[in-house]
Amino acid sequence: MLAESISEIGLGHFLVLSMILFITGMLGVLLRKNILTVLMSIELMLNAINLSFVAYARSLNQLDGQIIVFFIMTIAAAEAGVGLALVVAVFKRFKEVNIRFFEHLKG
Amino acid sequence: MTAEVFLFWFLAIVTVVSALGVLFMPNPIYSAFSLIMTMIGVSALFALLGAYFLAGVQVIVYAGAVLVLFVMVMMLFDLKSEIKAFTKGTLGGVFKIGSVAVLAGLILSAIMVTTQGVAIKFQGQADFGMQPTRLLGNKLFTQYVIIFEILGALLLVVAVGAVALSRSKGGTHARRID
Repeated sequence: MLAESISEIGLGHFLVLSMILFITGMLGVLLRKNILTVLMSIELMLNAINLSFVAYARSLNQLDGQIIVFFIMTIAAAEAGVGLALVVAVFKRFKEVNIRFFEHLKG
Repeated sequence: MTAEVFLFWFLAIVTVVSALGVLFMPNPIYSAFSLIMTMIGVSALFALLGAYFLAGVQVIVYAGAVLVLFVMVMMLFDLKSEIKAFTKGTLGGVFKIGSVAVLAGLILSAIMVTTQGVAIKFQGQADFGMQPTRLLGNKLFTQYVIIFEILGALLLVVAVGAVALSRSKGGTHARRID
């Protein structure tokens, strides 16, 4: 069973890899205090989800999963743009990009 | 061991190691470079899964656009105080890692349960008919055209919002507020 799961790859392998990437990104969001690294970890989490979508598309032999990935990429780019604009706003006020300054953002 | 299997394990190691690099690199710029490596690895995995168009889009959009945006924004900042900025507190850290471990266990058991009846190996060839990219375009502009249009509107809103946010009051010479 173990030898087979090393010499053959399938849906489960990609899902586990996607899970590992996702929890790495989640640890980054929780543990880092730098907003830039937090945003990068969010991108990592979105990528992990994309990987599992594409693996399912391959497994079920349907293209709809790939289209969802296309949309997720668009959302991720938009999210990065807005997040970095917020980071620039925070940096202008406090001369530092630490997550604790986000509590001062009002209106 | 076929070439496909070897590629999978190689790419899995590359992506996981560079993802851990994003997490543990002290300097954000090295995190960004690690993230580029992860993106390229994920793109190669897409190609391995037969999603060639998405592999190209992944490199262009993520490694080409989003990460360049990150690196250019980083050039605006003085990042000396941000090096090694991890959260403080042992108890909080233990709770965070514990909650992530619980989530990992949940996802892993869900994967175990749902892939029970599925064969270890992928069935059939990695193709979606004659021209997968053409099929993708057809689906995108017929079945999913409304979502596509909404995303276009969203991107416009985001572009305007990002400009408005970064031009907000304060200017570039704002004084420090304690």
